[in-house]
Amino acid sequence: MALLQIAEPGQSPQPHQRRLAVGIDLGTTNSLVAALRSGLSAPLPDAEGRVILPSAVRYHADHMDVGHAAREAASADPLNTILSVKRLMGRGLADVKQLGEQLPYRFVGGESHMPFIDTVQGPKSPVEVSADILKVLRQRAEDSLGGELVGAVITVPAYFDDAQRQATKDAARLAGLNVLRLLNEPTAAAVAYGLDQNAEGIVAIYDLGGGTFDISILRLTGGVFEVLATGGDTALGGDDFDHAIAGWIMQSAGLSSDLDPGAQRRLLETACAAKEALTDADAVTVRYDAWQAELSRAAFDALIEPMIARSLKACRRAVRDSGIELEDVSAVVMVGGSTRVPRVRTAVGELFGRQPLTDIDPDQVVAIGAAIQADTLAGNRREGGELLLLDVIPLSLGLETMGGLMEKVIPRNTTIPVARAQEFTTYKDGQSAMMIHVLQGERELISDCRSLARFELRGIPAMVAGAAKIRVTFQVDADGLLSVSARELGSGVEASIQVKPSYGLTDGEIARMLKDSFEHAGNDKAARQLREHQVDAERLLEAVQGALDADGERLLDADERLAIEYQMQELRDLMSGTDGAAIEQQTKRLSQVTDAFAARRLDSTVKAALAGRNLNEIEDN
Amino acid sequence: MGTPCHFALFDLQPDFRLDLDQLATRYRELARAVHPDRFADASEREQRLALERSAGLNEAYQTLKSAPRRARYLLAISGHEVPQEVTVHDPEFLFQQMQWREELEDLQDSADLDGVAAFKRRLKVAQEALNEEFAACWNDAAQRDQAERLMRRMQFLDKLAYEVRQLEERLDD
Repeated sequence: MALLQIAEPGQSPQPHQRRLAVGIDLGTTNSLVAALRSGLSAPLPDAEGRVILPSAVRYHADHMDVGHAAREAASADPLNTILSVKRLMGRGLADVKQLGEQLPYRFVGGESHMPFIDTVQGPKSPVEVSADILKVLRQRAEDSLGGELVGAVITVPAYFDDAQRQATKDAARLAGLNVLRLLNEPTAAAVAYGLDQNAEGIVAIYDLGGGTFDISILRLTGGVFEVLATGGDTALGGDDFDHAIAGWIMQSAGLSSDLDPGAQRRLLETACAAKEALTDADAVTVRYDAWQAELSRAAFDALIEPMIARSLKACRRAVRDSGIELEDVSAVVMVGGSTRVPRVRTAVGELFGRQPLTDIDPDQVVAIGAAIQADTLAGNRREGGELLLLDVIPLSLGLETMGGLMEKVIPRNTTIPVARAQEFTTYKDGQSAMMIHVLQGERELISDCRSLARFELRGIPAMVAGAAKIRVTFQVDADGLLSVSARELGSGVEASIQVKPSYGLTDGEIARMLKDSFEHAGNDKAARQLREHQVDAERLLEAVQGALDADGERLLDADERLAIEYQMQELRDLMSGTDGAAIEQQTKRLSQVTDAFAARRLDSTVKAALAGRNLNEIEDN
Repeated sequence: MGTPCHFALFDLQPDFRLDLDQLATRYRELARAVHPDRFADASEREQRLALERSAGLNEAYQTLKSAPRRARYLLAISGHEVPQEVTVHDPEFLFQQMQWREELEDLQDSADLDGVAAFKRRLKVAQEALNEEFAACWNDAAQRDQAERLMRRMQFLDKLAYEVRQLEERLDD
């Protein structure tokens, strides 16, 4: 199956009209940025023609290396060279210890928040390190495409929880990227493979990267990709294969487990090289200092068998959750560099009873799929209809209840977006605040689940204990991110909510990081803010104009239209000025004035869908 | 804010018998219309509206797709809101419930995979039989109590099916 061209005969927008958007695969080991150009989705190379950017950052006192240079220096400077930072995103210090790896970094910060890594440039959070990688990719994209990006689709493992997703979004913000969508990696791969409009059926995506494993089961029907179930392990990947070999070397060579960080790195690099060599060879000679021995493929297979077994178990669970049988899967796709290991391919083939597909480079397929979706989300319309991706929440979402138990509110594999409500009441007279502890996971005890955040609800009107009826709504958006709102039903009062993430950065910390990075770049804060308000205003004006062109005549009467156009002109007049606050206010006003129009448009498309009309017909009038 | 009846959302008449394929097709068409991805370049308000509508659509779809949930919903919109957790007198079924549960426990202890497969098949047959019975009586006001009873039995078997999946997972090692 060749990579499909998405050429659009008869529709070739001028380059300067095309809205620039990219897909970014922010991987544990390697990262890539890809874009759709002339109908083809492909990764963008650096100046040396390399598409892969190793996810490595080396901090010097006054500058940093990102990519190949950093990775090459890892064993020489292990404490300041950060590898596999993805494993630390959305995690706490206790998790980091539990990961079982010997991470050579010096961690600072002892609370449950994200652990900071001490470097010569000071403490760095995993979010900042990821942002440094994203900045390089963004620069590469803007240089290649010759313009400012409208936004990016950034991929995450399907099995990432809310904290891990939020951390990824925070990193993108720090890197100055507008996130169009957080897209699940297997779904992105499905997009890359499934572009052939004839592709129908049930597909399994087996995604084994450097540090994470995902299995997704999707149904493809007429341009709609529906995820039926997803599963995985965010602490299982090719890195673990390396560690298994490293362990074998240590045992065979009689090395003490007390190696210095530099030696640890070297050991892992040796192991990784051996693993890669065994893809094509039946045996390889492994050398470490003065010691050497032969590692056969059979011995290697035995070392990694337990890990492969874990991944297959997750596959069987996902199949069960989908409500299908193994035989119903019509294609299996391999994603991620670690699927090059022959034993992995054989094992997966055996489970599903068919040869896995590997046509698209497993290192690139995720970025390629993300770029296709980014192009659509940026607003570049496509003939022949667009793909629709219906994804699911990977882990059940619930609350802490009496006795340290987890009560599920939204079960895993529920299609997103989703909103569920639960009602609570007060237990003391006059109680005006309430705390809700939200977790993710499948187990019964909260100690076995991931704590996401504590939500403090304030402003509950004073009442007798038990009289208040507080409806709390849990909403998960298309990125898989949770937001909580609460209202006291009797009075209609909307509670104010303060979020305290368990493993994330608070809004204050992010604001501080943003400020630091602007100051570092020598930007004038006021100028930057003004520019942001102007960009927001521009976006809204464009959107409203588009809506008016499409449906203004049909859905608005003359007065309503005039009112909207008046507010638009007010905004345009302000935009050429320098009063950022006024621009922001007028943007809000315009947004309010178009609220009813937006609702009417939505109703109209829904009606049309039911009537079975082609939506393109309506939009083109 | 009045929400449209789930059936109306899919342009269907409220009924227990449902063409699931047709429902799925309509769901996909509607999802296309309201999914937030369609509004990625629209105003924030439109995006938020789309998010709410999508969530509502998904909820309606999940309700209609599942026979027990559809049954419960039908009774609710016919004016017979059935409270969630209530001890009901259904002695005949109580006995069957105990039998099902005991069998499931035995299967767990014996780790009998073939037995589990057979159990699943019988469970499916039982569920289909209940569906038929419910379809025949839900719309008849005179048989309201029976309809409720059947709906609770459907819920029980649905929960049992979930427990079988959990058992399969535990046995998968």
